[in-house]
Amino acid sequence: MSSLMWVYVLTGIVSIAIALLLVRLTHISAQVNPETEPTKLKGSDPHLPASERLQRIINEEIGKVAGSAQRSREIGKLITNVFTDELNEKIEQNKLELRQKYESVISRKTENEEIAWKKYKKIVNEKKQTEAVIRSIAEGLVVVDAQGKVVMINPAAEKLLGVSRQDKVGKTLTEDMRDEQLVSLSQGSPDKEDKEIELVSKQDETKKVLRASTAVIENENGQTIGMVSVLSDITKQKELDSLKSAFVANVSHELRTPLVAIDKSLTLILEKEAGDLSQTQEQFLSIAQRNLKRLSALINDLLDLSKLEAGKMEVRRKSMAINNVIQEVIDSLNNWAKSKNITLEKKIEDMLPDVQIDPDRLAQVLTNLVGNAVKFTPNDGKVTLEAKFSDGKKELEVSVRDTGIGIAPEDLPKIFSKFYQCGGERMISDVNGTGIGLSIAKEIVELHGGRIWVESEKGQGARFIFTIPLISG
Amino acid sequence: MGEDKKILVLVVDDQADFRELLTFWLQSKGYAVITAENGKMAIDQIKAKSPDIMFIDLRMPVMDGIEAIKAIREFNKELPIIIISSYIDDPRVKEAVSYGISGEFFKGGDFKDGLSLLETILRTHKKLKR
Repeated sequence: MSSLMWVYVLTGIVSIAIALLLVRLTHISAQVNPETEPTKLKGSDPHLPASERLQRIINEEIGKVAGSAQRSREIGKLITNVFTDELNEKIEQNKLELRQKYESVISRKTENEEIAWKKYKKIVNEKKQTEAVIRSIAEGLVVVDAQGKVVMINPAAEKLLGVSRQDKVGKTLTEDMRDEQLVSLSQGSPDKEDKEIELVSKQDETKKVLRASTAVIENENGQTIGMVSVLSDITKQKELDSLKSAFVANVSHELRTPLVAIDKSLTLILEKEAGDLSQTQEQFLSIAQRNLKRLSALINDLLDLSKLEAGKMEVRRKSMAINNVIQEVIDSLNNWAKSKNITLEKKIEDMLPDVQIDPDRLAQVLTNLVGNAVKFTPNDGKVTLEAKFSDGKKELEVSVRDTGIGIAPEDLPKIFSKFYQCGGERMISDVNGTGIGLSIAKEIVELHGGRIWVESEKGQGARFIFTIPLISG
Repeated sequence: MGEDKKILVLVVDDQADFRELLTFWLQSKGYAVITAENGKMAIDQIKAKSPDIMFIDLRMPVMDGIEAIKAIREFNKELPIIIISSYIDDPRVKEAVSYGISGEFFKGGDFKDGLSLLETILRTHKKLKR
């Protein structure tokens, strides 16, 4: 019995010793914060970490119900650990979620920024490219705003105009420039026609010819916000043009000179000024002269073409009855028509007034039309020349109708173009020409203020019609 | 100075063939003809022989028609001048007209036209002189 008592006492002492040791340990562990006083070690102490406070509160509460302090502490610790773990896990999870959200926002933002940057770089590159293109094109380029102030001018234009960009941007092109022709570049009318500008170089007094193609720049509302002009140096081209014209004129003259001498000689012989002729001699000389006239006509066409191209074709009007011109043409072509047994018929309306025409030029038109008609009409046909009032007596209508092979529909629109010759049946080996007769005819009629056109069906003959306005008086 | 004295025509052209042809034609129509092959020689002929009328080409070496007409008008305002034009609407014809000419004969045209032009001008001129 006494030994049992001893065991009890000993166990109690050991328990107390362990409890003291634990208290001591707890005290030491609580001394993380050295200023913490043991008396204040209460669950409400705000200086303690939350988990510690929680543990204390739990310890206190459990201590009220649990038997031993140590057990209550163990339970408390266990509960606290569970809570803390749960809490930490929640916190970690929240942290992770937040971080992920934040990262996705950041990455989206970066992505957008990258796109914007790429776009910006692309635009800058494109701008540089465009500028490089504008800088390096051989044609001059000038852009002016609605006030006529220069917005952009490329090096080619600086060179062509003899100005520098620094001096011109923001100013009108014509400032400090005497050349009035340039005004058209900055002020110009809104028509898109090309203009030719002549400049005299400041350095060496040479003349420069520029072609300016100007277009109006409009914004999306259709308001004019400026003009862009493309300048090209056509000095060389102009020189070549005039050289060519001079050459053609000269060659034509040289070609014609001997022809005139031959023609005059033949005329003198044929008119028997140099003595009598046998019938055969007369016949052959007539053939020679007829062909000579054809040759002359071809050469005249060439000369006319050069004038036409140079815009130098002129008409010298005289008051004259159209009948005279028609009769003259019939007289000159009658022999040829007769050789094909083609009748040249004339139908002139009564009381036609005199018209203001260039008789030589109009005879040229009619000779061409009647000549074509005779060419393309088979033997025994008929060519009718008609003159009448049209458009309520405001104009004179002259027409040449044949009974020939007609013109294919595909040829009709092109028939008045330069060098155009119809294909197919109209290409008969003995029927040839320069292919410019009708384009010259058109030009002459238009110089008289009239119109020319053709009506035809294949195989039904052709009818060429032109009008001459009657100048009221 | 009798009425049967032939009218003297000066033909100025650098082309010998044309000169010869025109001369032959005019002679066959009863005119007396002297010739020159450029403007300078034409002036000499006018000074030496006082022709009644002159045909003159515009394109010539040494001294062309325009220069010649200008020079002739310096000392002779009376001489009727017919210019010979090589082709229709030769721009130089206009210039020649401004120095005072009586007519224009188209080289490619008929000699008969040239003759009738000559006769008309001579008649007009005679009336003016009276």
